Amino acid sequence: MLTYIVRRLLGIIPMLLGITVLSFLVIKLAPGKPVMLQYSLNPKISLEEIRRLEKLEGFDKPLHIQYLNWLKNLSRFNFGRSFSDGRPVTEKIIERLPVTLAINILSLLFIFAIALPWGIKCALKEGTFFDNASALTMFLLFAAPTFWLALLLMQLFCINLGLLPISGIASLDFEYFPWWKKLWDLGRHMFLPVLVSSLGGFAGVSRYMRSNMIEAMNQPYIYTARAKGLSEATVIYKHALRNAVLPIVTIIGLSIPGLLGGSIIFESIFAIPGIGRLFYEAATMRDLNLIMAEVVLVAILTMLGNLIADIAYAYVDPRIRYGKR
Amino acid sequence: MGNLLEIRNLKVNFNLDDQVITAVDGVDLDVREGEVLVLAGESGSGKTVTALSITRLLPRTAEIVSGSVMLRGKDLARLSEDSLAAIRGKEIAYIFQEPSSFLNPVYTIGNQLLEAITLHHGKDKEEALKEARELLALVKIREPERVLLDYPHQLSGGMNQRVFLAMALACRPKLLIADEPTTSLDVTVEAQILQLLMELKMRLGFSLLFITHNLSIARRIADRVSVMYKGEVVEEALTEDIFKAPKHSHTRELIRAYEKIGRL
Amino acid sequence: MGSKRLLFGCLIIGIFSLLAIAAPLVSPYDPSSIDQAGLLMPPSARHLLGTDGLGRDLLSRIIYGARISLSIGLIAVGISVAIGLVFGAVSGFYGGLIDSLIMRFVDIMLCFPTFYLILAVTAILGPSIFNIMIIIGLTSWMGTARLIRAEILSLKEREFIQAERAIGASSSRIILRHLIPNAIGPVMVNATLGIAGAILVESGLSFLGLGVQPPTPSWGNILIESKSTLGVAWWITVFPGAAILTTILGFNFIAEGLKKKIG
Repeated sequence: MLTYIVRRLLGIIPMLLGITVLSFLVIKLAPGKPVMLQYSLNPKISLEEIRRLEKLEGFDKPLHIQYLNWLKNLSRFNFGRSFSDGRPVTEKIIERLPVTLAINILSLLFIFAIALPWGIKCALKEGTFFDNASALTMFLLFAAPTFWLALLLMQLFCINLGLLPISGIASLDFEYFPWWKKLWDLGRHMFLPVLVSSLGGFAGVSRYMRSNMIEAMNQPYIYTARAKGLSEATVIYKHALRNAVLPIVTIIGLSIPGLLGGSIIFESIFAIPGIGRLFYEAATMRDLNLIMAEVVLVAILTMLGNLIADIAYAYVDPRIRYGKR
Repeated sequence: MGNLLEIRNLKVNFNLDDQVITAVDGVDLDVREGEVLVLAGESGSGKTVTALSITRLLPRTAEIVSGSVMLRGKDLARLSEDSLAAIRGKEIAYIFQEPSSFLNPVYTIGNQLLEAITLHHGKDKEEALKEARELLALVKIREPERVLLDYPHQLSGGMNQRVFLAMALACRPKLLIADEPTTSLDVTVEAQILQLLMELKMRLGFSLLFITHNLSIARRIADRVSVMYKGEVVEEALTEDIFKAPKHSHTRELIRAYEKIGRL
Repeated sequence: MGSKRLLFGCLIIGIFSLLAIAAPLVSPYDPSSIDQAGLLMPPSARHLLGTDGLGRDLLSRIIYGARISLSIGLIAVGISVAIGLVFGAVSGFYGGLIDSLIMRFVDIMLCFPTFYLILAVTAILGPSIFNIMIIIGLTSWMGTARLIRAEILSLKEREFIQAERAIGASSSRIILRHLIPNAIGPVMVNATLGIAGAILVESGLSFLGLGVQPPTPSWGNILIESKSTLGVAWWITVFPGAAILTTILGFNFIAEGLKKKIG
């Protein structure tokens, strides 16, 4: 177990290098000079001014030197300044990160709280009307574009029913609310974003849980459990469930890129000031430092998510946790 | 000796997607008190399905179409699921072919053993633990304390089969059904397990229904032998009689095949 | 079960493809012609699916959008399958250092949430249909590469190949001959799902304004307008989205059917 963890931790070093090199190249190999790109919208800027800015950003040096400088800064969490307003990129990201993390973590909780029991129920009712109807629903959810579902839900909840606010994360007079009303207000604003970002994962996780559970119920040890005279409930919820649920741990890691990618779209739709929307703004304004920083950040988050999920899985599965004697 | 178990006219179908397969077709079988009955036959002849049918442990696709399974005058085929669960493990216990996959990989041996001990009569934890140690000693496991904390994958196949045997004997069943319990083990381990099984049978006095395709095992341990072929019992006789004068042509073929390779 | 799904999926995709190919013949109006009679007109006999905020016929725009969305999906996946084949084959054939380098590269690529990478590159190269196809292709080949590699590795282990090698045939030629019939099924399934994925990405990108640029209609950019017309013109939200949903369903059905077919 310990050697496994150490090996995995050492494995992230080349991964980190790869991630940074790739992020760097993606931005740098683009045709056109970055400073030009940045100021291409501004016709008044002179050629000397561009030279001066290039020198300031270090763009006149050879590529590998630029990379090493960037890497050095990166290790100190210094991603340079945003081209659009001159503020440090790190500051802008840290400001926006909590909202995105909160929504994604809530979504994950929401997905698992519903998808796991749902998948189990489908497995136990395999082949019935309930199972088939749910398979069809999940198939539809899987195929629907998230942003379209968001639009439809906005239409339903915010306009037709008038139940929920249409965008933002808090009301204008939020500051003056007592704490319970603040909570209620946040909940009302968060409900649709969390729901929308959960739908795709919900379909995936419930189908996965269903097939795991069906597989577990067909394992030899289930015969043993029945042969002992255990009640069907104990057979299902003790012997099958634990086996079916363990691999789900790794799914948490695998669903991170999807959730973070989804953040770009639903944060833009619901006007939520998170890193997804920040990235969208950076992309539309070609704010290269910000783009680079965010690409590296989400890649590292994804990698860490996978790493933690793998280690957690090794911990919960006794076959890996305690090797052979 | 009276009959402990009487199976009459048992018929089991498998309802597959596009066809119905009859796996067991009108089987009659008696297990007497305290005897070792070997149910022999090639794979696919319906031995395992017959054994699982006794306490209705069949997979979902299988269906018992007709027949009765009388355990000391009680028809198990007509019992409700709950009353049957009260008999499983308590009066009729099983051990299976691959102990390592028939034990749950995510629970410790101790957990699974205690479950069997406490299920049919309420015992407090201290008592149950004591009982678990005794059971492991009964099946000749040397370090019971360590084994209780182990997971199945940490033990060898032979050890797991001993654990399985301890689990099956936890409630002192009247009938032990052993479905090819040594097939997945090495020959030396197989001999040890067989010897242990016969010793425990003598000591505890249960009846043993032993399923195997291996006639040399049948000859070594059986009081009587039933031969199954294509879902039917084609011959049933005392062990010495069946090897001396097999009546059914299929039995003769089986015995001849074993004689040829000198394994009988 | 498998063949029914396959048929259903092919039917859906067949219809959309025909509409896309024959767009100038079947669409009732020019997609950019403006009906002076009115903007945001609800569905009627004159405009079956209504008009958009500039008074353009929505049905015609959706039909022309099918051209863009389907061809982006197809070409992007063509690129990704080609890249995946090359990487997967090189990895599987040569093994050793090359293999582990390529596989590490795949792991690294998989760390990037696709949408961030795609958005970053479009932001720099500028949004155009051509760029979108290439970028989606460049960021989605990893699955195919892993698949091809795994297929080659399992072929190398098979007995008949070991036997053929023993009688002196060159191993790369044997593997190539057996690889194609063995790998074509899984690659097709993967590619079909890939087209669906590419269409979803394109629509999301266009919806954000960083994909296909108006006035060229794509299903994603028709929906841009729907945010400002929520509660006013439901048809602008419902129909283009339904077109995306149906197409994705079609491709998913085909993939499921194929999966069942090849076992």
